[in-house]
Amino acid sequence: MAVPPTLAFQAIAQDFPQPGGGTLRVLDGISFDVPARRFVSVIGPSGCGKSTLLQMAAGLLFPTGGHVLHRGTRVTAVNRDVGLVPQQAQLLPWKTLAENVAFPLTLRGVKDPERTRRTQAAIARVDLQGFEQHYPYQLSGGMQKRAAIARTLVYGPDVILMDEPFGALDAQTRMAMQSDLQDIAAAEGATVLFITHDITEAVLLSDRVVVLSRRPTRILAQVDILLPRPRNMYEPFATPGFNDAYESVWSVLRGVIGKAA
Amino acid sequence: MSEAGITRAAAAAAPRARLALPHWIVGALPGVAFLLFWQWASGRLIREVYVSKPTAIAVRLWDVFASGEIWPHLAVTFRELVLGYGIGVALGLAGGYWLARAPQAARIVEPYVMAFYGVPKIALAPLFVIWFGIGIWSKVTLAATMVFFLVFYNVYAGVRGVDRELVALSRVMGATERQLGRHVYLPAAMPFIVLGMRMAIPYAVIGVIVGEFTSSVQGLGLFIHYASGTYDPAGVFAGIAILLAFISAAGLVAGRIERRLLRWRPPLHANSPEGN
Repeated sequence: MAVPPTLAFQAIAQDFPQPGGGTLRVLDGISFDVPARRFVSVIGPSGCGKSTLLQMAAGLLFPTGGHVLHRGTRVTAVNRDVGLVPQQAQLLPWKTLAENVAFPLTLRGVKDPERTRRTQAAIARVDLQGFEQHYPYQLSGGMQKRAAIARTLVYGPDVILMDEPFGALDAQTRMAMQSDLQDIAAAEGATVLFITHDITEAVLLSDRVVVLSRRPTRILAQVDILLPRPRNMYEPFATPGFNDAYESVWSVLRGVIGKAA
Repeated sequence: MSEAGITRAAAAAAPRARLALPHWIVGALPGVAFLLFWQWASGRLIREVYVSKPTAIAVRLWDVFASGEIWPHLAVTFRELVLGYGIGVALGLAGGYWLARAPQAARIVEPYVMAFYGVPKIALAPLFVIWFGIGIWSKVTLAATMVFFLVFYNVYAGVRGVDRELVALSRVMGATERQLGRHVYLPAAMPFIVLGMRMAIPYAVIGVIVGEFTSSVQGLGLFIHYASGTYDPAGVFAGIAILLAFISAAGLVAGRIERRLLRWRPPLHANSPEGN
């Protein structure tokens, strides 16, 4: 018996009200699956509704049409069984690093010593040992991102939703974080839905890339990436097959990018 | 991994070492200069009966403390202050928080609160005396009313201004409404709350003293009022000096508490060697 996809988007349609009256159809019949333990990227032009899809999976927004299924059940309320890593790290500024990472456990009533143990493990997983008592303002952007990832790992959700998490980082930090993410996702057996603007990033990280059109947004293609793992984030062009994989995504996206928004 | 974050953290902890003189000496210089000028000017530039002089005020202070006549006044005023401030803050906190979390109620209630905010509460002092008598409760009510409005608005604005994305994210992480209040709304609003509570200290003092001016049996305000009425400027200034000392002390304590509660905030001057 086949394992159902962890996350399924079924005929998702989303209208947003316009300031002058009327509605704007942003998403227009989006259907795709995120299979268990797979890394799926969503790539598309600005404003096509990629973040909206994540919000729907998290239960923060409900589609005008269609359903999101998590483990076969419709998402009808805030979904506490997913992990969300937003564009800005969004650590709580008034909590220390350790308190931030422990926050989901605190909310779930997990007490010490288990809470401390799991927090320490998550912090170690993202290589932030020694900074537990620091406040977010004392951490660099990359460190805050790592902390946000640790905060998601600590309660082990089966799906991790990531909204352009590395977009604001410098190129070197980004490559390091991509490499770490690959290791972590592999080690945890995580299912990841990852939004990005960057084709290289999508190709290197994912098992599948979903390419979206401009508004009203439809799926242009779902490209399977069959490059062997682990992949080298620092030397993409040295990986055999990378160019073909890149071209298979770019050939779809080419017609969409480059026009005025 | 960036070094900048680690460097920033180290810089924030470095001790200040720029000035040759201790900070408090430099801060006290203008005050001392003023006192010296006052002492000299009294009797030369302006008649002493109008402005008294620092030495006369010091003598007066000594007298009232040594004879013990000031202590009952201070006790009453202090009790009124503590009660007035405490009640005002408690109600302001509760009201501001509740209204900020209840937008439907806020739409109805806020215009009324705004209208009352505009009424100078001092004008209510005689009314409060009629209602609550000349004992402590008319002063407590006046102070509490003034403190309430100030704290209420700061708390209301602070809680309403909380980043909605933080709230949404916390919900996805599993927060219930109460947990949201405790872990997100309250800490996020804390800078505003603390600001309101600090600003309210002088207002509590104004409320109590003016209340005592209006009608009172005892209290520092009465002491000042009586001195004023008997053309005793030394007495007036002595009373004011006590008030100043109290407000300064309260401000210092408030500053300590604020630094402790808000230690998570980035320093104002991020690039200087010292913190804020």
